[in-house]
Amino acid sequence: MKKLLLFLVVSMVAVGLLGCDKDTTSDKTEIIFWHMSPVGSESYSGMKTIIADFNDSQDLYYVKGVGFSFWDYWDKLSVAIASRTAPNIGLSTIDDVVSRASSGALYDLSTLMDADTSGVNTIDLNEFRQSQMDFATYEGDLYAMPFTATTRALYYNLDMFEELGLTEADVPTTWSELKTIAKMFDVVENGEIKRLGFDPTYGDATYHGWLWEAGLDFFDDNLDPTLNTQGHIDVMNWILDFNDDLTRAQLTAFGEENTLLGLNPFASERVAMIIGNDGLYQTIINSGATFNYDVAMIPIPDENGVHVNWGSGFSIEMYNNGNDTDAEVQGTYEFLKYLLSSDVQLELAEVNGWIMSHISAMDIYVENKPIMQKLLVEVDYARDKVYVPYAPSWHGNDWQPYYTQILNGELTPAEGLAAARANYLEKQENYNSVN
Amino acid sequence: MKSENTSSIKKLKKQENIIGYLFASPWLLGITLLGAFPILASLYISFTTYDMISAPTFIGLKNYIILFTNDTIFWKSMWNTVYHVMISVPLGLVTGISLALLLNNKIKGMSVYRTMFYLPNVVSIVAMALLWMWLFQPNFGVINELLSPIYKLFNMEPLQWYQSASTSKITLILMGMWTAGGSMVIYLAQMQDIPVSLYESAEVDGANWIQKTIHITLPLMTPSIFFNFIMGIIGGFQVFTIAYIMTNGGPSRSTYYFAYYMFDKMMTDHSMGMASAMAWILLIIILIITTFALRLNKRVVYLGEES
Repeated sequence: MKKLLLFLVVSMVAVGLLGCDKDTTSDKTEIIFWHMSPVGSESYSGMKTIIADFNDSQDLYYVKGVGFSFWDYWDKLSVAIASRTAPNIGLSTIDDVVSRASSGALYDLSTLMDADTSGVNTIDLNEFRQSQMDFATYEGDLYAMPFTATTRALYYNLDMFEELGLTEADVPTTWSELKTIAKMFDVVENGEIKRLGFDPTYGDATYHGWLWEAGLDFFDDNLDPTLNTQGHIDVMNWILDFNDDLTRAQLTAFGEENTLLGLNPFASERVAMIIGNDGLYQTIINSGATFNYDVAMIPIPDENGVHVNWGSGFSIEMYNNGNDTDAEVQGTYEFLKYLLSSDVQLELAEVNGWIMSHISAMDIYVENKPIMQKLLVEVDYARDKVYVPYAPSWHGNDWQPYYTQILNGELTPAEGLAAARANYLEKQENYNSVN
Repeated sequence: MKSENTSSIKKLKKQENIIGYLFASPWLLGITLLGAFPILASLYISFTTYDMISAPTFIGLKNYIILFTNDTIFWKSMWNTVYHVMISVPLGLVTGISLALLLNNKIKGMSVYRTMFYLPNVVSIVAMALLWMWLFQPNFGVINELLSPIYKLFNMEPLQWYQSASTSKITLILMGMWTAGGSMVIYLAQMQDIPVSLYESAEVDGANWIQKTIHITLPLMTPSIFFNFIMGIIGGFQVFTIAYIMTNGGPSRSTYYFAYYMFDKMMTDHSMGMASAMAWILLIIILIITTFALRLNKRVVYLGEES
């Protein structure tokens, strides 16, 4: 019996060891790549193929892809960078590249580009938007490259437009037109919203996005908080008054119904118009929706409006853990070049449904996609949010409580904006006193 | 003969100690290597400014001074947490004891009831939060549907539960009561240890159920009540997950608890020094309260008859 057990254990260990042996990769330098296509996601197999194609072309390097969901990705990356266990290469947000570059967490890509004489997948900087690369530049050098080119636009349901006898010529271009048209679509039964024309707080619409269109911002050039002008209050009042015939409770309930049911309100034909990013295009396809829709620029204020939208694209960056070998750095750079090459950018767009940063590749990608073509036009009007060291989440955690209080009527716009500004000032003072 | 006995007893005791330490060694090594180092490191980091990428810079007590003197949200999160502890701990004790008293009966199917009440403790907190979001949803949730006759009777607006700053904290506390079955199991275990002879004597003296509960059951349960009280305080001060999932700390930061703010200081503000200082403040608060509670131990806890 003992002999039999021993034989079984030895056999299992032997099989296990054989299973671990990767004869094709053991002599190659391993590169770790973190992405957002985890096992089970729609883009997983596509991303796996892209990585496998690179590995097949390499004698020296082997890339191991690790996918996390969008929601898990950021905390994991922050902790990994802090503990110097970051992947060799990964995605991040382009608007705060400078914070990582200045701390020495990233490799200087300009130096690697200058030293690159291989002629393989050479990065052509003319294929990337300067506005995005400016965010990835620290002390004159590039520390990341734009990976995606996110944009936001007004999605509108053409079937609903036709139902009311409206045409594409009636698609609103100004704030007043938006309200006039939107109100035509509202359907309220027994106090419950069944269909909504538009709401300036739904989808990817943000207060700072509306402010930008009005030529205003949260911070001035010195990163001091503003928010204390009549213009800021006016924009907030416009948001509050947009659906003033409905209560905030009705609007919240309608929004929460969608959230709890896991529905995108536009894809499920519950709103006629919504602000969405390029990802919504893929969401609508994935939802199996069959209605006709199109996109347009986000309507701007009637006077002195600025054609602009919030970009918030991803960067691709190489992490410096302080113990990387030259081979790892070189291999990572080869993979970075591969990911930024025209063909792979095209593949990535097909796999993820994202608008990628490579200009020519995206021109090809959108050729037979009329909606994507319009979204691509909006990319040129996209702007990333500024990085504020004392309030990195100025548009999120720091702002949302005040925004909610104003929307719920607990604070007037003036009170809410003043309270938010006071909070930013307090954070600024505290940050400056220890840095 | 006597000295021989004494030396062999000493030898046995020594051997027993060695064996004891050997058995405890994995834990001792773990606490030293994996526990003590991070604890001491966090103490040092609390005296630094540290963005988790660059090297920490020593700034003395500044983080503590800022938190206490110039951080409005620190005090807001502290109040939210204290409020949570003050309501949830006594309520949890009462609920747990009540359940235990109800389920300390010899009726058919009792083990099924006990299992049912304990079951919420094995449900994932994420699933639990999502479930309760549906139940407490102000417009189409089951709870407001059930309460609608009462709303009509008193001509009042339906409660907004977790969507209103005035009721959000209570909503989360009520949700927490769903897991009172965890403490109930401890109470039940202690109840089973109470000698039946005490109840029999009381019955001979004509005591009813309430009298037996007040004069026998509850006094003899004080060790487990005290244990759950201490654990409740510690857990209450660390409340985080439920608010993170259900309310994002809102509305209007009404469920923005101390641990949530500490998490944001680290993960969104990248201010590890400040977050570490908050962790130490929390530790000291819990230590003070627990020490105070332990001092009450001798006065309020029945520890058996002195021989």
